[in-house]
Amino acid sequence: MYAEQREPEFGWTDEHRGLRETVRRVLADRAPVARARELAEAGERHDPALWSELAGQVGLQGLALPERYGGYGGTLLDLAIVVEEMGRVLHGGPFLPTVGLAAPVLLAAEDPGDGNADGNGPATEYLPRIADGSLTAALAVEAWDAAGGPVTSTTADASGRLTGTVPVVVDGGDADLLVVAAQGPAGPAPYLVEAGATGLTRTPLETLDLTRRAARITFDGTPARALGDPARGSAVLARARAVSSVLVSAEQVGGMTAATELTAEYARTRRQFGRLIGSFQGVKHRLADMAVRQEMAHSAAYFAAWQEPGTPEFVEAAAIARSYCGDAFLQTGLDAIQLHGGIGFTWEHDAHLYLRRARADRALLGSPQQARAELVPALLSRVTIEGVPA
Amino acid sequence: MTVTQPGTEPVTERVTLAADASDAEIIATVEAWLRAHLPEDWQAAVARGDLAAVEAIREDPERGPAWFDLLGDSGLATPTWPAEHGGLGLPADRGAVVTETLARYRAERHNRDFVGLVLAGHTILDWGSDEQKAERLPALRRGREFWCQLFSEPGAGSDLAGLSTRAVQQADGTWLVNGQKVWNSYAHLADFGLLMARTDPAAPKHRGITYFLLDMRTPGVEPRPLKQMTGNAEFNETFLTDVVVPDSARIGPVNQGWSVAITTLMQERNGLSGRPAVGPGEADALIARAVGNGAWENPVLRDRLLEAYVEEKVLQMTTVRSFVASGDAAPTAEGSIRKLAHSVLAEKLGVLGTDLEPDDAVAWDPAEGSEAADRFLAMKTYSIAGGTSEIQRNIIAERVLGLPKDPDPERHLPFNERGRG
Repeated sequence: MYAEQREPEFGWTDEHRGLRETVRRVLADRAPVARARELAEAGERHDPALWSELAGQVGLQGLALPERYGGYGGTLLDLAIVVEEMGRVLHGGPFLPTVGLAAPVLLAAEDPGDGNADGNGPATEYLPRIADGSLTAALAVEAWDAAGGPVTSTTADASGRLTGTVPVVVDGGDADLLVVAAQGPAGPAPYLVEAGATGLTRTPLETLDLTRRAARITFDGTPARALGDPARGSAVLARARAVSSVLVSAEQVGGMTAATELTAEYARTRRQFGRLIGSFQGVKHRLADMAVRQEMAHSAAYFAAWQEPGTPEFVEAAAIARSYCGDAFLQTGLDAIQLHGGIGFTWEHDAHLYLRRARADRALLGSPQQARAELVPALLSRVTIEGVPA
Repeated sequence: MTVTQPGTEPVTERVTLAADASDAEIIATVEAWLRAHLPEDWQAAVARGDLAAVEAIREDPERGPAWFDLLGDSGLATPTWPAEHGGLGLPADRGAVVTETLARYRAERHNRDFVGLVLAGHTILDWGSDEQKAERLPALRRGREFWCQLFSEPGAGSDLAGLSTRAVQQADGTWLVNGQKVWNSYAHLADFGLLMARTDPAAPKHRGITYFLLDMRTPGVEPRPLKQMTGNAEFNETFLTDVVVPDSARIGPVNQGWSVAITTLMQERNGLSGRPAVGPGEADALIARAVGNGAWENPVLRDRLLEAYVEEKVLQMTTVRSFVASGDAAPTAEGSIRKLAHSVLAEKLGVLGTDLEPDDAVAWDPAEGSEAADRFLAMKTYSIAGGTSEIQRNIIAERVLGLPKDPDPERHLPFNERGRG
């Protein structure tokens, strides 16, 4: 899969740096971690005024959507920068579910990358509303199979009515639009269900990640619209999932960067036994390992973001990022609490918010172990071609 | 082609390349030069993928040196050296394109020249006197002199600045050196050694060291093979007994050898190795072996192999990133992150290799040997050589994360008042 010489990744431009600074400034001002905690403790889904501002003045929801859908035509890399910054401050609510999980399915259905861009399917109605901030969406997929396709027990009948249950849908209780993987006449495919549809039941759940809400979704003959060519449904969902994997990885990088910084700051200021705890090797070595994971995770997420979506290189890099970043953030979340000691185990301290995010993100699109299993077909094809080395 | 001794007239014209030449320009220029100068049988062997034939020419006592003379005089062996010293004056990332193009023809310098070409070369370029540059650089460029490093000592490993080999200046200005060095690759073959010795025991340990370019044929220099845990003897320990070293062999000011050594130790990025890339690595090879012998069917082994595969790829990505990000800047503590990650990975791969061939973890046919066992025994090299993983973690914690420095109560004490370690 790898060419002998390739264009260098990681060539950041001034535009990338400017975008990062802008997003960081807005979030520091309007949505620092303390605000995420405040919303979570108040049981609020998000800050609707900020949501409108992010869509309007800042233009983040439509940043990477094509201009024909009211977006700004940015790249996945641009969006990854935004999501990483949001990850640093544990920004929750509908942004990742809408822009990072549901929108990629709408986009993949519209333009599956095979030159057959549709241009007049239902996604053309919804994407501009995502871009202007008037619509939130959630992705309802039960599980993923070894080939990266959806597993679903929800069925769609010939007239597009859905029946079944999706046990956990992040932001599913509040989203205006549900993108549902259901078993259609031609196999698993994405369907669209609007809030308020008949036969739609949304049962709120308690979440591990306090910054996000979730619901169990039940369909009982619920009217839905097929999204794109049903024969390509599974491929569309798999293609979108690779994009989502890169974005979730970016969020994990942001989270683990912040958790590492928080912990390093504590080690630089907390004194015990007459010295700063950061001068104990037991502390500094664990922190050094956190720094290693953060650097490596950053490389993995952005190497993937730099690949051309839809290519085998992209799919492989996305799975590598999901495997590495998922495990790395979890370990860093654990280590952050460990190094804070007793204070890190309290409700008031932010460390547990990072651990909760780390654990929940790691389950969003299938486990790291599953991501590794998805690498196997491409790996084996190379092994067969190259033969067994002596 | 005639073999030319160092110091004689150049055997070829210097190649010219602009400092901002594109990849394509560099590759085209280097390939054109290689097609015109690389022996035809060498080119033919490369074309048919016969690496053994290429290696035979490279190691031929006549033809090998003849090639490296030519390469050295072309400037392509030292693309980042300044033009006045026979280099091409290219920045590190441009030099790397030259080197990786040479490597595609197996025309690049031997790995064993690393200490000379990279460490000694840059140390002399940065600190050498005009005489030292004139005497040593042409031979280094052509690979006519072989170098080793004489830094570590039995009592100075991680705490390198605690070295106790003594150099005492005598009335005639020469230095009398006594001590013992260790972990010296190729010391028994080397013409010169990079030597650090204590010249002021009354100064704190970093401030009483002087750096010398030691002629390894000087009487009293005695390298002995040091057998490692692998059973091989790739390194030496070197005994220095009443070795008389002229003051002209000193590089840098007296008692400032530690600063000179920093230059030596910071030669990670110099354009003399190719650009990093993401591609097949050791995990790929282990996976191929596992598929071949059926170990792949074990789901636990399979996931461990895939985990190692992911880590290796992410490490490659990190190396690519650091290369792009640092441009021409000097290497930093970020290098410690990659070294540490690599050490951890090397150990995983070493253990995995023997898990794939469980018989080899016990015994093997001496006629065939065991690659898995060899790698298992060698894997601890990476977490120890060049600074242990513990030292790397200290560096990362202190220089990347800004944690307090590890206490070193002897750092500011005169060397001769410190405890014996």
